[in-house]
Order: sequence, then C-alpha cells, then structure tokens
Amino acid sequence: MTVHNIYIFDRYGTLLYYYEWNRLKQSGITREEEAKLMYGMLFSIKSFVNKISPLDTKDGFLCYKTSKYSLHFFETPSSIKFVLTTDVGAQNVRQFLQQIYSQIYVEYAVKNPVWQNNKPIKSELFKSKLDAFVKQSPIFVSKAN
Amino acid sequence: MSRQGTRLDTKNVNSELFTLTYGALVSQLMKDYTNVEDVNKQLERMGYNIGIRLIEDFLARTGSGRCYDFRDTADKIQMGFRIFLGVTPTITNWSSAGDEFSLQFESNPLTEFIELPDHCLNLKYANVLTGVLRGACEMVQMEVTSWFAQDQLKGDTVTELRVKFVKRLEDAIPAGED
Amino acid sequence: MVIYGVYIVSKSGGLIFNYECNVPKIETEKTFGYPLDLKLNYENKKIVVEFGQRDGVMVGHVLTAVNGIPATGRQLDDGRDVFDIINERENYPLSLKFARLRMTTNEKIFLASMFYPLFAIASQLSPEPRCSGIEVLEADTFKLQCFQTLTGVKFMVVAEPTQAGLDILLRRIYELYSDFALKNPFYSLEMPIRCELFDSNLQNLLEHVEKTGISNV
Repeated sequence: MTVHNIYIFDRYGTLLYYYEWNRLKQSGITREEEAKLMYGMLFSIKSFVNKISPLDTKDGFLCYKTSKYSLHFFETPSSIKFVLTTDVGAQNVRQFLQQIYSQIYVEYAVKNPVWQNNKPIKSELFKSKLDAFVKQSPIFVSKAN
Repeated sequence: MSRQGTRLDTKNVNSELFTLTYGALVSQLMKDYTNVEDVNKQLERMGYNIGIRLIEDFLARTGSGRCYDFRDTADKIQMGFRIFLGVTPTITNWSSAGDEFSLQFESNPLTEFIELPDHCLNLKYANVLTGVLRGACEMVQMEVTSWFAQDQLKGDTVTELRVKFVKRLEDAIPAGED
Repeated sequence: MVIYGVYIVSKSGGLIFNYECNVPKIETEKTFGYPLDLKLNYENKKIVVEFGQRDGVMVGHVLTAVNGIPATGRQLDDGRDVFDIINERENYPLSLKFARLRMTTNEKIFLASMFYPLFAIASQLSPEPRCSGIEVLEADTFKLQCFQTLTGVKFMVVAEPTQAGLDILLRRIYELYSDFALKNPFYSLEMPIRCELFDSNLQNLLEHVEKTGISNV
C-alpha cells in the first residue's frame, strides 16, 4: 500500500495545497503547470462522466485506475476538490478523503484565523497534521519498509 | 479538534459571554461609525467572512450533500441555526414561486439583553446573520439575499428573517493559456 | 448484470463503433401552477432545470414538451416561444415534460475524442514511471472499463458500478472485432464498423453475459 501525493483545489482551480509522499516520477513541468493540467483533466472527466452516465448522477466521478496508480476524487458541496493518488489496491480512500476534509482541512485550515479563502495553505500546523494523518492510515505503508 | 488538549468543550462555553461579546462589538462599531447604515454594512460584511468559513464546518459535521431545491436549502439553514446558535427558527411564508421564505425566531441569543436606544432605531442589530447566510450560500454556488422583515427589538412580536434565492453560481472552468 | 454500452475508438481517436442498451428512459410530466417553482435556464440550445428538484424532475433535466406539444430548444412545434408561455399567468395550469437527455451521435463522437487527451494526461501525471492510461473509471452510477490493444485501438464498456470481470468481456469483444471486422475484406481500417455479423455476434455475447454472467464467456 502506498500514498503517492495529494492535491487540494478550490472552486476557482487554485491549487490550495500539494504534498507528496512517494513519487518516483515527476511530470516534467512546473508544479503550477501540473496543477493546471490536473484541474483541467478533472474538469473534463467530470463533464465526461455526466454526459456518459446512463442515470442521473449524484456524486459523479469517484476514481480512476491505471496500471500503476489510482486517482481518488472527493468534492465537497463548496467545490473544494481533494485528489489523492495511491497504489491500485487501496481501499476506502474516498472515506479517507472525507476525513481529511472534516478533520484536517476544516479544523486546521478554515478555522485558522489567518486563513484566506482561495489562497494556498501555508500553515505548518496543517502540514504536520495532514502528514501525520496520512502516515497513520492503513492506506499508507511506505515502500521503504 | 484543534491542537490536542486545547479543544474547548463547546457545551461549556458560556453563551452569555458570546452575547456580551457581540454586544460589545456592535456598540464599538456604533462609536466608530457615525452613520448607522455603515454599521449595518460592516456587520453584514463580518457575517460574510464568518459564513464562508462556517459553511465548511457545517458540511464537515453534517456530511450533507449539495442542495438541488430551495426547500432543502431552507432545512439546512434551519439545521445550521440549531447547530451554531442553539435555536430552531420556524420556516414559514413560502412565496408561491418557492424562491423566498422566512425564518421566524421566538428567541435570538444575539439579542437577549438588548434595548435599542433612540438614536439606533435604524440599526439592524443582528445583521451579522444576513452576512453569514450570504457567505455560506455563496460557497455552495448559490446567491441569496436576506433581510429582517420583523424584529422583536423594534417592537414586533417575532423576529423574521426573510431569505430570497437570487441565482445559481457556476463552477469555474479551467483558465485558458492566454 | 447490466451493460449500458460498448464503444470502440480507433487509433486516431475517432469513434468507429458504439452500441447502447438498457439505458432507462428518464422522463417526468407534471402539472404546474403559476408562478413556476423551478428555475429554468436556456443553455446550449436547451431549456435546462437549473434549480429546484422534486417529484422526479431533477436538476440537469431538459424541458421536452409543454402541454404535450414537443419543444425543440426554446421553441414549441407550433412556433411559440416556451418562455413566453411560462411567464404568462393565464396559460396556467401548465403541463411540462422533463427528461434526462440521451446522448446524440454527435455527442458520442465528441466524447470519444475526449477520451484521448484524458488518457494521455492521466499517464503524464502519474507519480510512478511507465504508467498506462486510464483503465477503469468509476462514478456513482456506472463503471467504465477500457482496454487498449497494442495497436492502439481502444475498447470501452460502460456497466453497473459493481460489475466485475469487465476486462474479460473486453477481450472477447476484441476477438469479435478481429474476426468480424478486421477479417472482413470489405472493412477498411479506421472507418466506422458497419458489419452485420459483428453486430449480431456482439449482441449475442452481451445477451449471454447478461443472462449467465461474465465467467461463462
């Protein structure tokens, strides 16, 4: 089990937070460009899913898998988008993202008085709490071990 | 759940401290601004800044999904009042087009000890609430306006907060390379 | 098990085959009083429910008829403008019909061409080296499984979210494709597949799968 990296976007597509735990390959473009590409891809997948779905969707897009990794997507009604990439075997990641939202994002980003809407999260407390939260999860077992 | 061990038990925070803090804030604003309308505006703006944060806490706690009908919205707003202020306003007076409703309060913790002095008759004492609603709804892609239709502080029998749906806001599309 | 559709996309990204089945018709007709308690919006030449959903009328559904008269965009078949009717009190009560629109052929072709960049980006953004494109895409209402052959043709099947074993089904469809399309001397590569034998064999395969499950194919 592995967690590769996390992206958090706001509703304007601003990358609020990025962190990586196990990443062997970089995309070869700047982080900023990569974020744009990721957000654009998510946006297209969402509209794709809405169109191709045989029934009315509620949560819509949940995740995709490739040969090497899975990308899990969770969006709040306030359009904050959480994206976590893991190995393909990871289970219950959506629930885990929901917890990251309610137990880390809301508590340590939104409730921080210096938090500004639509601005990247700079808080060290947020960073260390998120890091600890991910590392204690069963999804995260570092490859080094 | 902030830093370990420092979390206050929300049930044990004295609500009168809150009422007094809000009262002190409003009366300080009255001193800082000569014009009552400016105070109303400031309160609304503060509420907006609270609302855009509070909505995340609400969503995280309740796990609610997006609203697709204004009646859902009304229920969620009512639930929000219960969670954050401990009062359950009554939802009434729906407009026939279903885009406007009222929240009626029998008591309002913000205004517990208040008597409006004569020079403050135009003060919308609890105007922070209209801002909270605007901020919170805006974060879930909905533009609403709200105003006090009746106010116990002004001699009405109930306090009535009227909420109106304005429009849906669109999700941002990715910026082009320009 | 339920299969909703099969798509084949050529190496260059064109949709060369699609088959749709079991897609339920979602339609609601309801009588409304004045004023209308739904927010309707005119976008992309359709009247779409923007807000206010109940009794089966959902956000995103499209207005298809007023008092039984079919509507195309904002115009009724008798030439009247839908919004003119909806805004007049004396026209009420009004019976309005809403539906979740099926994809048109053009939309399908458009969506198929969208697969391509999405798959490529998914591979580019991979945190691991030597990664493929998207193999499975999951949503709350369906699951899409994709199989790309070494020659670059993509086979996709859309099914119920819980459906397992779709990769086996895709391989069977690949076999049918090589048998009844490629071995047919009158079929030219990259062109839409219009071969009756392929159609009928695919249909048999899908019927078989639906009755007895994937493990038996």
